[in-house]
Amino acid sequence: MNAWLWAAAACLLVLVPCVLRTVRGSTFDRLLGMQLAGIVVSLALVMLGEGFERSIYVDLALVFGVLSFVGSLAFVRFCERWV
Amino acid sequence: MSWVVGILLASAIAVQLISALGLLLMPNVYDRIHFLGPASTIAPVLTAAAVVTVEAFDHQGIETVLLAVFLCVFGPVLSHATIRAARIREHGDWRERPDESVRRPQDPAGAGRP
Repeated sequence: MNAWLWAAAACLLVLVPCVLRTVRGSTFDRLLGMQLAGIVVSLALVMLGEGFERSIYVDLALVFGVLSFVGSLAFVRFCERWV
Repeated sequence: MSWVVGILLASAIAVQLISALGLLLMPNVYDRIHFLGPASTIAPVLTAAAVVTVEAFDHQGIETVLLAVFLCVFGPVLSHATIRAARIREHGDWRERPDESVRRPQDPAGAGRP
C-alpha cells in the first residue's frame, strides 16, 4: 500500500463520526453528517484514483462532489418547512 | 517529493478528522456547522496540492483542482443555506426576533434595543 491508499483508508475512519452523527440527532444534525460524509468520500475517491492510478476515480469524485452538493441543497430546501 | 505528499495528505486527514469529531461533539447545530468549513475548504486544497505535486497539471491534477475550487466555493453556500433553513424551521423566520437579545460591540449588555 502506498501513501494514497493509507490516506483513503484513513478517510474511512473519518466517516465513522459522520455516520454516528447521521444516525441520531435532529433533522439538521443528520443533514450535517451527510454533508461532511459527501466531502470526505469525494476526497477519498481522489486518493483512491491516485493510489490505484485510475483517473476514472477522479472523474467519479468530481461528479460525486457536484451531485452531493445539489442533493444536500434539495434536502435543505425541503427541510426548511415541509419535511 | 514523497515526504511532501505524505505531509499534505496527513494534514488533510487531520483536518477532516478534527471536523468530524467537532461535528460529533458540539452541543447544537449552530456550533456543529462551523466544523464543515475546514473540511470543505482546507482539506480539498491540501489534497489538490498533494495531487498536483505528483501529477503536475495533467488530467487528474486539473480535475482535482477543479473539485477543490468547487468545494471551496459551494461548501460555504451550502452551510449558509443549511443554517438559514434550520433557523427558519426553529423560529419561522431567519431574521432576528424583537424579543431576542443579541450582544453587539456597541451594545455590550444586549439591552437597549428597540
